Amino acid sequence: MDESRGAMSFEEVRATLPQKYPFIFIDRVLELEAGKRILCLKNVTGNEAFFSGHFPDFAVMPGALILEALAQATILLFKRSSVAPADPDTLFLFGGVKGRMLKPVFPGDQLRLEVTVNKLISTGALTTGVVTVDGEAVVKAELSFGLAKRDSLRK
Amino acid sequence: MTEQEIQQEVTAIVAEVTEMDKEEIWEKRDANFFKELEVDSLLALEILAMIEKKFKIQIPEERLVDITCLNATIDLTKSILAENGRL
Repeated sequence: MDESRGAMSFEEVRATLPQKYPFIFIDRVLELEAGKRILCLKNVTGNEAFFSGHFPDFAVMPGALILEALAQATILLFKRSSVAPADPDTLFLFGGVKGRMLKPVFPGDQLRLEVTVNKLISTGALTTGVVTVDGEAVVKAELSFGLAKRDSLRK
Repeated sequence: MTEQEIQQEVTAIVAEVTEMDKEEIWEKRDANFFKELEVDSLLALEILAMIEKKFKIQIPEERLVDITCLNATIDLTKSILAENGRL
Protein backbone atom coordinates (compact mmCIF):
# COMPACT_ATOMS: atom_id res chain seq x y z
CA MET A 1 0.00 0.00 0.00
CA ASP A 2 2.94 2.31 0.57
CA GLU A 3 3.54 2.31 -3.16
CA SER A 4 0.23 4.05 -3.84
CA ARG A 5 0.38 7.81 -3.99
CA GLY A 6 -0.75 9.37 -0.73
CA ALA A 7 -1.51 6.08 1.05
CA MET A 8 -1.71 6.29 4.84
CA SER A 9 -1.48 3.57 7.48
CA PHE A 10 -3.89 3.41 10.42
CA GLU A 11 -1.19 4.96 12.64
CA GLU A 12 -0.97 7.95 10.29
CA VAL A 13 -4.77 8.21 10.10
CA ARG A 14 -4.99 8.16 13.90
CA ALA A 15 -2.28 10.80 14.24
CA THR A 16 -3.96 13.05 11.65
CA LEU A 17 -7.64 12.88 12.65
CA PRO A 18 -8.90 14.91 15.60
CA GLN A 19 -11.30 12.03 16.36
CA LYS A 20 -9.95 9.27 18.59
CA TYR A 21 -11.02 5.80 19.81
CA PRO A 22 -13.81 4.69 19.67
CA PHE A 23 -14.73 7.22 17.02
CA ILE A 24 -12.30 6.61 14.15
CA PHE A 25 -14.14 5.21 11.13
CA ILE A 26 -11.22 5.00 8.68
CA ASP A 27 -8.79 2.05 8.78
CA ARG A 28 -6.49 3.03 5.96
CA VAL A 29 -6.07 5.49 3.08
CA LEU A 30 -5.47 3.75 -0.25
CA GLU A 31 -5.10 6.77 -2.51
CA LEU A 32 -4.95 10.51 -1.97
CA GLU A 33 -4.59 13.26 -4.53
CA ALA A 34 -4.12 16.54 -2.66
CA GLY A 35 -6.98 18.96 -3.27
CA LYS A 36 -8.84 16.46 -5.45
CA ARG A 37 -9.83 13.06 -4.05
CA ILE A 38 -9.25 10.41 -1.42
CA LEU A 39 -10.05 6.70 -1.30
CA CYS A 40 -10.25 5.06 2.13
CA LEU A 41 -11.00 1.64 3.59
CA LYS A 42 -13.11 0.76 6.60
CA ASN A 43 -13.57 -2.85 7.61
CA VAL A 44 -16.76 -3.35 9.55
CA THR A 45 -16.58 -6.04 12.22
CA GLY A 46 -19.31 -7.51 14.36
CA ASN A 47 -17.23 -6.47 17.37
CA GLU A 48 -17.87 -2.72 16.78
CA ALA A 49 -19.18 -1.09 19.97
CA PHE A 50 -22.15 0.49 18.15
CA PHE A 51 -23.55 -2.89 17.11
CA SER A 52 -24.43 -3.66 20.73
CA GLY A 53 -27.10 -0.95 20.51
CA HIS A 54 -27.85 -0.79 16.76
CA PHE A 55 -29.57 -3.18 17.07
CA PRO A 56 -29.35 -5.81 19.83
CA ASP A 57 -31.02 -8.42 17.63
CA PHE A 58 -29.98 -7.13 14.19
CA ALA A 59 -26.51 -5.69 13.58
CA VAL A 60 -26.68 -2.94 10.92
CA MET A 61 -24.24 -0.02 10.73
CA PRO A 62 -25.94 3.34 11.40
CA GLY A 63 -26.05 5.43 8.22
CA ALA A 64 -25.06 8.46 10.28
CA LEU A 65 -21.77 6.76 11.11
CA ILE A 66 -21.12 6.04 7.43
CA LEU A 67 -21.60 9.78 6.82
CA GLU A 68 -19.19 10.40 9.72
CA ALA A 69 -16.68 8.12 7.96
CA LEU A 70 -17.06 10.28 4.82
CA ALA A 71 -16.54 13.37 6.98
CA GLN A 72 -13.35 11.86 8.42
CA ALA A 73 -12.13 11.00 4.92
CA THR A 74 -12.73 14.63 3.97
CA ILE A 75 -10.75 15.86 7.00
CA LEU A 76 -7.80 13.65 5.99
CA LEU A 77 -7.98 15.00 2.45
CA PHE A 78 -8.26 18.57 3.70
CA LYS A 79 -5.30 18.19 6.06
CA ARG A 80 -3.12 16.74 3.30
CA SER A 81 -4.10 19.44 0.82
CA SER A 82 -2.09 22.29 2.35
CA VAL A 83 -5.06 24.59 2.71
CA ALA A 84 -5.96 24.02 6.34
CA PRO A 85 -4.12 25.82 9.12
CA ALA A 86 -2.30 23.51 11.51
CA ASP A 87 -3.75 25.42 14.46
CA PRO A 88 -5.18 22.89 16.97
CA ASP A 89 -7.88 25.39 18.00
CA THR A 90 -9.37 25.24 14.51
CA LEU A 91 -12.13 22.67 14.24
CA PHE A 92 -13.76 21.07 11.24
CA LEU A 93 -17.52 21.48 11.19
CA PHE A 94 -19.67 19.08 9.22
CA GLY A 95 -22.08 21.77 7.99
CA GLY A 96 -24.42 20.09 5.59
CA VAL A 97 -25.27 16.82 3.90
CA LYS A 98 -27.61 15.72 1.17
CA GLY A 99 -27.39 11.97 1.03
CA ARG A 100 -29.01 8.64 0.29
CA MET A 101 -28.53 5.39 2.18
CA LEU A 102 -28.92 2.89 -0.65
CA LYS A 103 -28.17 -0.45 1.02
CA PRO A 104 -27.64 -1.60 4.62
CA VAL A 105 -24.10 -2.30 5.87
CA PHE A 106 -23.52 -5.44 7.95
CA PRO A 107 -20.64 -6.95 9.94
CA GLY A 108 -18.04 -8.33 7.53
CA ASP A 109 -18.59 -5.65 4.90
CA GLN A 110 -15.61 -3.67 3.63
CA LEU A 111 -16.43 -0.03 2.95
CA ARG A 112 -14.55 1.76 0.19
CA LEU A 113 -15.08 5.45 0.82
CA GLU A 114 -14.26 7.82 -2.02
CA VAL A 115 -14.50 11.57 -1.58
CA THR A 116 -14.00 13.99 -4.45
CA VAL A 117 -13.66 17.73 -4.04
CA ASN A 118 -16.13 20.03 -5.77
CA LYS A 119 -14.80 23.19 -4.17
CA LEU A 120 -11.99 23.75 -1.70
CA ILE A 121 -11.11 27.07 -0.08
CA SER A 122 -9.08 27.95 3.01
CA THR A 123 -12.20 28.05 5.21
CA GLY A 124 -14.38 25.31 3.79
CA ALA A 125 -15.02 22.53 1.31
CA LEU A 126 -17.83 21.03 -0.75
CA THR A 127 -17.38 17.37 -1.56
CA THR A 128 -19.14 14.35 -3.05
CA GLY A 129 -18.84 11.03 -1.25
CA VAL A 130 -19.58 7.57 -2.58
CA VAL A 131 -19.33 4.47 -0.39
CA THR A 132 -19.26 1.03 -1.98
CA VAL A 133 -19.30 -2.56 -0.70
CA ASP A 134 -18.25 -5.22 -3.23
CA GLY A 135 -18.49 -2.65 -6.01
CA GLU A 136 -22.05 -1.63 -5.18
CA ALA A 137 -22.90 1.85 -3.86
CA VAL A 138 -24.33 1.80 -0.32
CA VAL A 139 -24.24 5.56 0.38
CA LYS A 140 -24.03 8.60 -1.88
CA ALA A 141 -23.83 12.09 -0.43
CA GLU A 142 -22.99 15.72 -1.06
CA LEU A 143 -21.20 17.16 1.97
CA SER A 144 -20.16 20.62 3.10
CA PHE A 145 -17.53 21.52 5.70
CA GLY A 146 -16.39 24.69 7.37
CA LEU A 147 -13.53 25.63 9.66
CA ALA A 148 -14.10 27.50 12.88
CA LYS A 149 -12.14 28.49 15.96
CA ARG A 150 -13.05 26.46 19.00
CA ASP A 151 -13.82 29.59 21.05
CA SER A 152 -16.23 30.95 18.45
CA LEU A 153 -18.48 27.91 18.99
CA ARG A 154 -18.84 28.17 22.75
CA LYS A 155 -22.03 29.74 24.06
CA MET B 1 -25.16 35.58 -22.73
CA THR B 2 -27.31 38.61 -21.96
CA GLU B 3 -27.54 40.41 -18.62
CA GLN B 4 -31.13 39.18 -18.34
CA GLU B 5 -30.06 35.55 -18.76
CA ILE B 6 -27.35 35.98 -16.11
CA GLN B 7 -29.93 37.46 -13.75
CA GLN B 8 -32.31 34.55 -14.34
CA GLU B 9 -29.65 31.86 -13.91
CA VAL B 10 -28.21 33.37 -10.72
CA THR B 11 -31.73 33.84 -9.31
CA ALA B 12 -32.48 30.16 -10.01
CA ILE B 13 -29.27 29.09 -8.22
CA VAL B 14 -29.94 31.26 -5.16
CA ALA B 15 -33.58 30.08 -5.08
CA GLU B 16 -32.40 26.45 -5.04
CA VAL B 17 -29.83 26.97 -2.26
CA THR B 18 -32.14 29.08 -0.08
CA GLU B 19 -35.11 26.77 -0.81
CA MET B 20 -37.27 29.70 -1.88
CA ASP B 21 -39.40 30.28 -4.98
CA LYS B 22 -37.68 32.28 -7.70
CA GLU B 23 -40.36 34.95 -7.42
CA GLU B 24 -39.92 35.16 -3.66
CA ILE B 25 -36.12 35.50 -3.69
CA TRP B 26 -36.37 38.03 -6.53
CA GLU B 27 -38.67 40.17 -4.37
CA LYS B 28 -36.06 39.92 -1.63
CA ARG B 29 -33.11 40.55 -3.94
CA ASP B 30 -31.66 43.22 -1.62
CA ALA B 31 -32.28 41.27 1.59
CA ASN B 32 -29.05 40.36 3.39
CA PHE B 33 -28.43 36.63 3.08
CA PHE B 34 -26.87 36.24 6.51
CA LYS B 35 -29.04 38.59 8.57
CA GLU B 36 -32.39 38.09 6.88
CA LEU B 37 -32.41 34.83 4.92
CA GLU B 38 -30.62 32.37 7.24
CA VAL B 39 -27.84 31.74 4.72
CA ASP B 40 -24.55 30.75 6.37
CA SER B 41 -21.02 30.87 5.00
CA LEU B 42 -21.23 27.29 3.68
CA LEU B 43 -24.44 28.02 1.75
CA ALA B 44 -22.69 31.09 0.32
CA LEU B 45 -19.86 28.79 -0.75
CA GLU B 46 -22.43 26.49 -2.39
CA ILE B 47 -23.85 29.46 -4.30
CA LEU B 48 -20.34 30.39 -5.43
CA ALA B 49 -19.56 26.82 -6.55
CA MET B 50 -22.85 26.51 -8.47
CA ILE B 51 -22.22 29.82 -10.26
CA GLU B 52 -18.71 28.65 -11.19
CA LYS B 53 -20.12 25.44 -12.64
CA LYS B 54 -23.05 27.06 -14.44
CA PHE B 55 -21.03 29.83 -16.08
CA LYS B 56 -17.74 27.86 -16.34
CA ILE B 57 -15.81 30.57 -14.51
CA GLN B 58 -13.42 30.69 -11.55
CA ILE B 59 -14.35 33.02 -8.71
CA PRO B 60 -11.38 33.82 -6.44
CA GLU B 61 -11.84 32.94 -2.76
CA GLU B 62 -11.53 36.58 -1.69
CA ARG B 63 -14.65 37.44 -3.72
CA LEU B 64 -16.80 35.13 -1.54
CA VAL B 65 -17.46 38.10 0.75
CA ASP B 66 -19.26 39.82 -2.15
CA ILE B 67 -22.05 37.23 -1.93
CA THR B 68 -24.25 39.20 0.47
CA CYS B 69 -27.62 39.33 -1.28
CA LEU B 70 -29.09 38.21 -4.61
CA ASN B 71 -28.42 41.55 -6.30
CA ALA B 72 -24.80 41.59 -5.14
CA THR B 73 -24.38 37.99 -6.35
CA ILE B 74 -25.72 38.91 -9.79
CA ASP B 75 -23.32 41.88 -9.90
CA LEU B 76 -20.40 39.65 -8.87
CA THR B 77 -21.22 37.16 -11.63
CA LYS B 78 -21.47 39.92 -14.23
CA SER B 79 -18.20 41.44 -13.13
CA ILE B 80 -16.32 38.10 -13.30
CA LEU B 81 -17.82 37.40 -16.74
CA ALA B 82 -16.80 40.91 -17.84
CA GLU B 83 -13.25 40.35 -16.51
CA ASN B 84 -13.14 37.23 -18.68
CA GLY B 85 -14.33 39.17 -21.71
CA ARG B 86 -17.63 37.31 -21.82
CA LEU B 87 -20.00 40.20 -21.16
